[in-house]
Amino acid sequence: METPALLTVRGVSKSFGRVRAIDGVDFTLRAGEVQALMGENGAGKSTLVKILAGMQSPDSGTITLNGRPVTLPDPGSATRAGIATVHQELLLFGELTVAENIFSGHYPRRAWGAIDWPGMRRRARELLAELDCHDLDVDAKVRTLSVAMRQRVEIARALNQQAKVLILDEPTASLSERDAEKLLSIVDQLRARGTGIIYVSHRMKEIFRIADSMTVLRDGKLVGTLDRVGATEADLIRMMVGREIGQVFPKLPARIGKPVLEVEGLAHGRLVQDATFTVRAGEILGVAGLVGSGRTELAHVLFGITPATRGTIRIDGNEVRIASPRAARDAGIAYVPEDRGGQGLVKPMAIRENLSIAVLDRLSSFAGFVRRGNEREMAQAAFDRIGVRAAGIEQPVGELSGGNQQKVVIAKWLETAPKVLILDEPTRGVDVGAKAEIHRLMGEMAQQGLAILMISSELPEVLALSDRVMVIAEGRITAIIDRAQATPEHVAQAMTAQQSAPTQRKTTA
Amino acid sequence: MRFRYMHETVLALMIVLACIVMATQSAQFLTGANLLNQGRLMAEVAIVAFIMTFVIASGGIDLSVGSIMGLAAVLTGVFWQDLGIPLPLVLPLVLIVGLCCGLFNAFIITKFNFPPLIATLGTLALYRGLAEGISRAKSVRGYPEWFSVIGQGNVLGLPTQIWIILLFFVLCAFVLGTTRWGRTVYAMGASEQAARFAGLPVDQTKMAIYAASGFASALAGIIFVSRVSTTRSDMGVGLELDVITAVVLGGTSIFGGRGTIIGTALGLMLIQTLESGLSLAGVKGDGTIVLIGVVLILALLMSNLSERRMRH
Amino acid sequence: MTFAPDRNATPATAPKSLLTRLRAEYGHELLVAAAILLLIIAVGAYNERFISARNLNSILSGNAYIAVAAIGMTMVIVIREIDLSVGALIGVLSTVSGLVAVSDAPLWMAWAAPVILGAVISGLTGVIVAYAGIPSIVVTLGTMAILQGGLIAATGGAWINDLPPEYQIAKLNVLGIPMPLVWAIALTVAAAVWMKLSVFGRSLYLIGGNAEAARAVGVPVRRRIVQVFAIHGAFAGLATILFATQLQVIQSTVPPNLELLVITAAVIGGVSILGGAGTVIGASLAAILFAVIGAALVFINVSAYWLRAFIGLLILVTVLADMIRRQREMAKGGM
Repeated sequence: METPALLTVRGVSKSFGRVRAIDGVDFTLRAGEVQALMGENGAGKSTLVKILAGMQSPDSGTITLNGRPVTLPDPGSATRAGIATVHQELLLFGELTVAENIFSGHYPRRAWGAIDWPGMRRRARELLAELDCHDLDVDAKVRTLSVAMRQRVEIARALNQQAKVLILDEPTASLSERDAEKLLSIVDQLRARGTGIIYVSHRMKEIFRIADSMTVLRDGKLVGTLDRVGATEADLIRMMVGREIGQVFPKLPARIGKPVLEVEGLAHGRLVQDATFTVRAGEILGVAGLVGSGRTELAHVLFGITPATRGTIRIDGNEVRIASPRAARDAGIAYVPEDRGGQGLVKPMAIRENLSIAVLDRLSSFAGFVRRGNEREMAQAAFDRIGVRAAGIEQPVGELSGGNQQKVVIAKWLETAPKVLILDEPTRGVDVGAKAEIHRLMGEMAQQGLAILMISSELPEVLALSDRVMVIAEGRITAIIDRAQATPEHVAQAMTAQQSAPTQRKTTA
Repeated sequence: MRFRYMHETVLALMIVLACIVMATQSAQFLTGANLLNQGRLMAEVAIVAFIMTFVIASGGIDLSVGSIMGLAAVLTGVFWQDLGIPLPLVLPLVLIVGLCCGLFNAFIITKFNFPPLIATLGTLALYRGLAEGISRAKSVRGYPEWFSVIGQGNVLGLPTQIWIILLFFVLCAFVLGTTRWGRTVYAMGASEQAARFAGLPVDQTKMAIYAASGFASALAGIIFVSRVSTTRSDMGVGLELDVITAVVLGGTSIFGGRGTIIGTALGLMLIQTLESGLSLAGVKGDGTIVLIGVVLILALLMSNLSERRMRH
Repeated sequence: MTFAPDRNATPATAPKSLLTRLRAEYGHELLVAAAILLLIIAVGAYNERFISARNLNSILSGNAYIAVAAIGMTMVIVIREIDLSVGALIGVLSTVSGLVAVSDAPLWMAWAAPVILGAVISGLTGVIVAYAGIPSIVVTLGTMAILQGGLIAATGGAWINDLPPEYQIAKLNVLGIPMPLVWAIALTVAAAVWMKLSVFGRSLYLIGGNAEAARAVGVPVRRRIVQVFAIHGAFAGLATILFATQLQVIQSTVPPNLELLVITAAVIGGVSILGGAGTVIGASLAAILFAVIGAALVFINVSAYWLRAFIGLLILVTVLADMIRRQREMAKGGM
């Protein structure tokens, strides 16, 4: 028995200048259905989401809600039509309370037009209770909340709007395993109520857990919609990429040599406590852990962004003091950051300038004069070696795709001749094809004797590439597991290990 | 159209046009004596503007330059007349004070994450207030002969200020355009975080830039005192307006990441030409700041339009 | 599989009492009010004449116009903009008001003109900021120059004498309280209520807090920016009335330091320079605090020449406190 269509999208197209972001896409969403929306970066998912959220207008095509055609010229109209969106970048107001955040844009009013604050707070508490969030204070300022809590505020917003259609854009990207599970149970609840949900993600495990059907986009076009029953991961990858991907994570064998990085008792703040570990030449040490467990914080300590308050770091046996990124670079440590666009690249600058930016002092004379000829040579060589797909080294790096941008960042750091390379979520936001290339690159670098730390939230990636897996929970290293013993269960257990028994736990102010 | 030096060319053309118009209005205008004098008059704004190019290109701003200039002027008088320090010693002292004022700006901007706007708005008040408090509205006169060489004299046939302007111009153009510190400035302006994460010395560069701004402002103060042979606490009021207008007119984006010294130089020349044209037409001194305000807003609008066009 | 407790969760609480919440929300404003009282008492202990009714009256009503100007400026700063030209604007509007008053036009026009003209001029600034995307700091630097220069160029600094006595409404009393004070209080209360209870008012906090999110919830950001600047201009006009109608003679000059005072009042009053927070009550009270400080300096024989330095120091210290608080929150993993 087929329930009637809730939301129908027919022939929707949108171009930005000469680029066709989406081209004649159709899909149908039924009430009480969770449909996954999948595709590589640039496939058109976010454009489609923006159109449904009222943030962009399609060039052509129709959108029908409950049988009636709708136009969505602005976000307000989408909300009024009953489409709620929880974006990847949470759109919340830090200085305002939870209650006000939930109701911003549609405040409850009294008879004479004024905002009904007591009513708002009461209703906010009710909504949070429905989501089983009894521990959230409606008067708390949102800037004091954790990421998972903030997302619940966003979902409460959507609930409040009596949304018929809820769009979730990469909702678990920044969540811990436990918070993600909580989110999925909320999605179950909403589905049971008859809400239609569009779930944008490329996390296969979640999709197979929650989705009733999967729609795949590629290069702006609809490739197809599969029912969950009978669909396989391989099918979906093939649809997204258009070719069979044999091995997504090629593990290249490398000779493991002497210890290059030795860390002992390293500490900084709450999230890096007493870190002690070693990474050897040619070794890939995977760093796993829940979001907020302190992995990036550890990387920042090693790289000098937030220098260590205690402990020692040794490179090739010599103790080094790392007080700044410059010191880290000089010691032979390189860091490919999590936030590629904001921290890894200067987007308006050319590829050449981005490639040379970490070695400017080595490319310039005593007076500071930058030797342009040398720079150009160096940049061209790096560009060719790494295989960046772009018009040339003068192209502004902001115009490149995610995967190619990441290659530029990695190439930039390879120029500094590092001994230790720290990669933080190296393949996040990177399409499947480029992902494989980056994994291959990592293997090659290991073969050349680099010691590599790879921080990743994708367990399959960690398990496939690492020689050892280091697990961090709440700022402490809970386990360092050899490749042979590293199973998903073992790692997950270490990720959620509690630090001490309840009776012994110290209360911190 | 992606002609790289479009902006500078347009400016140069406008200057030529303005000069032609002025020349038809007054026979005096294109004489050597007059042009050199124009150069003399714009020295203070010029040297501060060259440094301000760095500041704005790095994504910051310095509103306190006028106040530092005023403080420098006051201190020149106070050190020399009230404290009896010999003038040759006073001058470097005043320059050091200017440097320190700039360093203080940099300190609160880097250590405490103050938005440069509000930091320099606060120090604009603080430094001007110090100038007013110290001088108590008295003015100082009677400087020795040799002192006025700086502001009124010639060296090798050209006004002293021209040499100073040239020196600053060459140094600044070289540093910003060809050195790694210049690259650092542009990177900071485009994305400060990325610059930090690339190991660039962001905080040190900021310290250097704001200190240089303070230094240049103090030097401007000394030149001005030498030119008018007197000291008053309201000197330099409105300097920031002239300087920022010249820089923005020259093509530096107010958001940072773009800008050249040549552009600023052209912007300065254009403004100076327009201003002298106005005074030839009989408009009083105060009226010319209306012109500067209008030019600033127009320059910002044009800069914005061209930025939008570049993005597509 | 057992899961670790979410350490980042805000601890469970029952809904807080009204009093606790009021204290949390208006703590800063209470602090400013307390500072005013303490200062008056302290200086009064030093010199009795300070707390005489006549003196307090003159301080409060003489400076009430700054509080009114601070109301409009608060709204501008809340949406994360700034207006450096407010002093010059009030100078221009005073002159216009005076000129209308001594002309043959009906007297009410002398009071209406500054409000309307202020709204128009400032609204134009808002259009440039909103639709050309240029930071208000530089736009208002330019408008300040245009207004200031224009005023001098047009009037040559001439004074306006012979103001009709009916014009000087600032000298009236309402139920024994001087008019400027009544107006300042009424406008502050009205604005505060409006900022808290109206959708328009709340939208300003949305814009200043997160402009993109504001757009996503349907706030017409660009239109609001223009509207806020226009309202701010109207408040500048109202402030002008309170200012100009106390004077015997209107000088065609810009009151010195005025923009600095108004901006500092807002910042000290708890309006964060980064936008999205703060109330008009705090700004108004802070303006009064400055008036008291200025008068106090005179009473304890400190040279008035140090006033500007003091204001500069105050801005720096207050913003410093705000920045330190934010840094601490960053360290804890906040926004």
